[in-house]
Amino acid sequence: MEQTLTSTAAEQWAIGLFVLAVFGLCTFMIVASWLLGGRSRGREKALPFESGILGTGAPRQKFSVKFYLVAMLFVIFDIEAVYLFAWAVSLPESGWIGFWAATLFILILLAGLLYDSRTGALDWAPQPRSPVDSTRT
Amino acid sequence: MPAPLPLLSLGPFALVCAAAVTVLLGIAWQRMHTVSALVTIVGLLGALVLQLALQTPDSAETPLLVFDGLSHFAALMVLGSSLVVALLSHTYLRGYTGPREEFYLLLLCAAAGALILVASQHLASLFFGLELLSMPLYGMLAYRFQSSHSLEAGLKYLILSAAGSAFLLFGMALLYAQTGALDFTGLASEMGPWALAGTGLMLVGLGFKLSIVPFHLWTPDVYQGGPVPATMLLASISKLAVFVVLLRLVLEVPTFRDEALSALLAGLAILTMIVGNLLALRQSDLKRLLGYSSIAHFGYLLVALVIGSRFAVETAGVYLITYLVATLTAFGVVTLLSSPCRTEEASNLEHYRGLFWRRPWLAAALTVAMLSLAGIPFTAGFIGKFYILALAVDAQRWWLVAAVIAGSAIGLYYYLRVMVALFLREAADASRAGRGGHWLNDTIVLVLALLVIVLGVWPAPAVDWLAGLNY
Amino acid sequence: MMEMTVSLLPLTFLLPLAGTLLLAFSAGRLGERGAVWIGTGSVGLAALVTALVGADFALGNAGPQTLTLYTWIAVGEFAPSIGLRLDALSLTMLSVITGVGFLIHWFAGWYMRGEEGITRFYAYMNLFVFSMILLVLGDNLLLLFLGWEGVGLCSYLLIGYYYQNAANGAAAMKAFIVTRIGDVFLAVGLFLLFTQFGTLDIAELVTRATQAWSAGEPLAQLAALLILGGALGKSAQLPLHTWLADAMAGPTPVSALIHAATMVTAGVYLIARMHGIFELAPAVLYLVGMIGAVTLLMAGFAALAQTDIKRVLAYSTMSQIGYMFLALGVGAYSAGVFHLVTHAFFKALLFLAAGAVIVCCRHEQDIRRLGGLRRRLPLAYLSFVVGGAALAALPLVTAGFYSKDEILWQALAAEQQGLLIAGLLGSLLTGLYTLRLIVGIFHGEPKSKAAENAQPGRGPQHSVPLLVLAVLSTLLGAWLRPDLSAVFPAAPGADAHAGHTAVQLIASATAIIGILLGAWLFLTQGPKLARLAAEGAGAFFWRWWHRAFGFDGLYDRVLVRPFLGLVQSLRRDWLDAFCGLAGQLALVLHAGLSRSQNGQLRHYAIATVVGATLMVVILARA
Repeated sequence: MEQTLTSTAAEQWAIGLFVLAVFGLCTFMIVASWLLGGRSRGREKALPFESGILGTGAPRQKFSVKFYLVAMLFVIFDIEAVYLFAWAVSLPESGWIGFWAATLFILILLAGLLYDSRTGALDWAPQPRSPVDSTRT
Repeated sequence: MPAPLPLLSLGPFALVCAAAVTVLLGIAWQRMHTVSALVTIVGLLGALVLQLALQTPDSAETPLLVFDGLSHFAALMVLGSSLVVALLSHTYLRGYTGPREEFYLLLLCAAAGALILVASQHLASLFFGLELLSMPLYGMLAYRFQSSHSLEAGLKYLILSAAGSAFLLFGMALLYAQTGALDFTGLASEMGPWALAGTGLMLVGLGFKLSIVPFHLWTPDVYQGGPVPATMLLASISKLAVFVVLLRLVLEVPTFRDEALSALLAGLAILTMIVGNLLALRQSDLKRLLGYSSIAHFGYLLVALVIGSRFAVETAGVYLITYLVATLTAFGVVTLLSSPCRTEEASNLEHYRGLFWRRPWLAAALTVAMLSLAGIPFTAGFIGKFYILALAVDAQRWWLVAAVIAGSAIGLYYYLRVMVALFLREAADASRAGRGGHWLNDTIVLVLALLVIVLGVWPAPAVDWLAGLNY
Repeated sequence: MMEMTVSLLPLTFLLPLAGTLLLAFSAGRLGERGAVWIGTGSVGLAALVTALVGADFALGNAGPQTLTLYTWIAVGEFAPSIGLRLDALSLTMLSVITGVGFLIHWFAGWYMRGEEGITRFYAYMNLFVFSMILLVLGDNLLLLFLGWEGVGLCSYLLIGYYYQNAANGAAAMKAFIVTRIGDVFLAVGLFLLFTQFGTLDIAELVTRATQAWSAGEPLAQLAALLILGGALGKSAQLPLHTWLADAMAGPTPVSALIHAATMVTAGVYLIARMHGIFELAPAVLYLVGMIGAVTLLMAGFAALAQTDIKRVLAYSTMSQIGYMFLALGVGAYSAGVFHLVTHAFFKALLFLAAGAVIVCCRHEQDIRRLGGLRRRLPLAYLSFVVGGAALAALPLVTAGFYSKDEILWQALAAEQQGLLIAGLLGSLLTGLYTLRLIVGIFHGEPKSKAAENAQPGRGPQHSVPLLVLAVLSTLLGAWLRPDLSAVFPAAPGADAHAGHTAVQLIASATAIIGILLGAWLFLTQGPKLARLAAEGAGAFFWRWWHRAFGFDGLYDRVLVRPFLGLVQSLRRDWLDAFCGLAGQLALVLHAGLSRSQNGQLRHYAIATVVGATLMVVILARA
């Protein structure tokens, strides 16, 4: 009991020190720069500043949602390919069960891909021209 | 050579997944609302029947999943609730102008996630199940994205849920750091400060899903904004599955039974019961009210976690059944009154003024659900609450007993308020009279309401069944 | 085969319950015919089931037994179960409830024709039958109490059936509150018994009580007294009798079923069922007899001075239940229950006949405005004569004679001469007021347009129930005497015979004298009597009896007004404010907590993080 208590205390003491150090460092940086740094005011100081060049226009531009959609789909299929890589490396160990599991996995992926293309998720055009959705009016 | 997979035990899960893929391919071929709904219902029904047939005395196991009495019970509840939601969704979505079929896809995915979650005995499957359950819910909550409320609900749930998941992952990482294991039995090997901290953080993540105070703030907004079937799913299978996995953690991993943690849980339970009920007091929106009520109910359920005995499992089982049946009934009525979803949903209590004089059966069903949620004798809710009280008294946790009683007393006020509104004379608006939907829908809700009463009047079969499940 | 019929027993109350639910949820779509069919049919089927079970029981195929229907929840020691007790007593009560109940339901189809809300009427009636059957079949006091409260509720609902008239609402309220006073006593009695013996199962309870208590034990006295309180309220005996006369505001079939045949006799049933406890408290048992005797005399006098047909019958009911209490008081339980059965027959007959008169004369029920209906309403006349004869215990040919004679003989055998004399005097009074009623309605000249133009009722709905009940009120009804020897201890006069014939002769003579005296007085001396009642001491007695000895006024002055005054002055007291504090606090907390639900995502996220931090800090400190 005594033993664990002391060891726990030792560990926690280390954490405490670490936390203190973090706060201390942050405080030190802010306070030191505030104390040491010069201060000046002016109209120019209030302007947005970026690499010495004045900003032109709003930074927020509208992207087509398709952009995100395609990016997301890419990431999803990409990650799934990573799984297949892991399977391929361990092919001898996982055996036939692994093979059929991977096949099922790929088939489900294919179904997903088919769904994506049929609902128009992969079309770049602004108007949805999906064969599925255009059948409904 | 790995042990052979218990294919049969995985059957219901496989069926649900197969139904999901079928719906997916069906949409890719041609959008047909009724067919999608039918495939979903058949898949869920098949899984339910298979699950019922599966009841084997000895449990099957894989490294990630375990199929025992607890997961059998939970899987049945999940499949049953999903089936009810699927059936009611069809009516609800008829009036929806956007694509409707994906709703079923999401529903099936969520059900699959819940099935994994309730059977998981490994942190990886826990996380996987939880995400598979939550991801579709984001989509479902934001399904009516033309309505800003629905969109707001989906986004809020997404962001806060991601935060919750982050806590959960951090907790898991700490646990792993302490024990070097991810499976529940391995986690049990060692205890220490890191494990305790990890447990606490995991509790934050899971408590968020269960909307335990102080992680409950999202509940009313999300309940109110989401389309009713999505909310219904959130209130039923999501909470049930997360609670079951938490229960399994408490039972199997000693750090979850640590004295300090147990005391903390007791505190959270008391806080949750009282705060949940207090928040609901003057609520005039039925869906929000049900959200607050679910907070309070999971407060009561936490009592079972705090005590964590063999009897506690049975108690939790009884309570979950009673909670589910009553909640599904209440949301079922709301769904039927909001269907088809052309205009705003019928969530304000004003809509329910004088409902008895327009749709007496639905009003009766809602009354029964409210009585049950309030825990009035001869409804299912009383049996559940009685078990909780018996459990707490048996364990001599008097603070918990006091909180349950105080919470129930406060709760009575707002449940009764809903009932009073149902029977008031002047109908709110004749145009809201609402034509009856398909008779099947009314029947589902009435059967659920009947079940509430049957469970309350004759609980012995259900209780015996629960006691007989091997865990 | 035997298992079969007995297992049908639950149907007797499930059928009326199903009827109630069906009627309640039909929301008036059934129409009048449908409502009558369902309402009557469910009770009819219940009566059929009762007949099947009863036949098996009588043939000895099925003995007394307890059917455990189910156990509600079983958590540790606490396992309330619902069971039905089938024995001679419960079967007797069941037969009366379903049999007489069925006839009254049938008749009500005729009586209520064209009334508004007939669905509601039958829904309440079926609910009443359901509750009443639960009351008599329940094998534990909890179930009995459930039925007890259920019948009270139905009584309230049906007395106030014509709720547009405020007076009816007041009458319903009065009945409810007065019986509720008794119910409180009963409930406290049940608590007492439960704390003493830890069970509410009647058989078990009585066994334990006889083991634990000796006769005259104070606790036993107290328990018996509390149960008696409940019985007094329900059975309208002194001092909780004031509600019954006002309860006549309900439709007449209701008065027949609830306020004559079944519910008001529940008190008699209760005492008979719990006789084991009363045997342990001889003083209380004696009190039961005394109360019965006083009530029967008081109600007899009051019945003499009523002008409303139904109020005469109401006081007569009180008086007859007084006889039953008298029987219970001398330990002759079986005689009391026998009188309960015959009384159910002839009083239901009288009420239904009164209902027929009332409907035929366009809801005229004042004796002073009726008269001469003998020829116009022959069936009603016949019913009144047969029923009246049974009520007045006309020797040898009526059912009432046999049961009342039994009671008087047992009173003598128990050496309670005081009670015997009260019973004989009561029987004289019974003859008088019965004759006054019959003469007032059917003889002499019609005294109003309504009576002149009375149209007799037609159809089997009207005539068959009256005829069946009339047959049952004669000698034939007395043959249906239930054999209760297995349920009750031997009555005091079981072995003795000395003086039985003498009592029979005296009782017969009293009854005949009463009838003849009544006939002479009311047929020939009518104007003289009227003069006598209008002036001097006669007027005083008339008024005094008319107001039933002024109990209403007394209670109003002594109890109601001081209570209302107290309530007024306590309307805004500190205790109330203190109790309200909890609610206020909840509202304040609610308002405070609601502010946290501001819809701001960032606040929610911050709350989560803060909560998580706090949790970890608490865990780290531990």
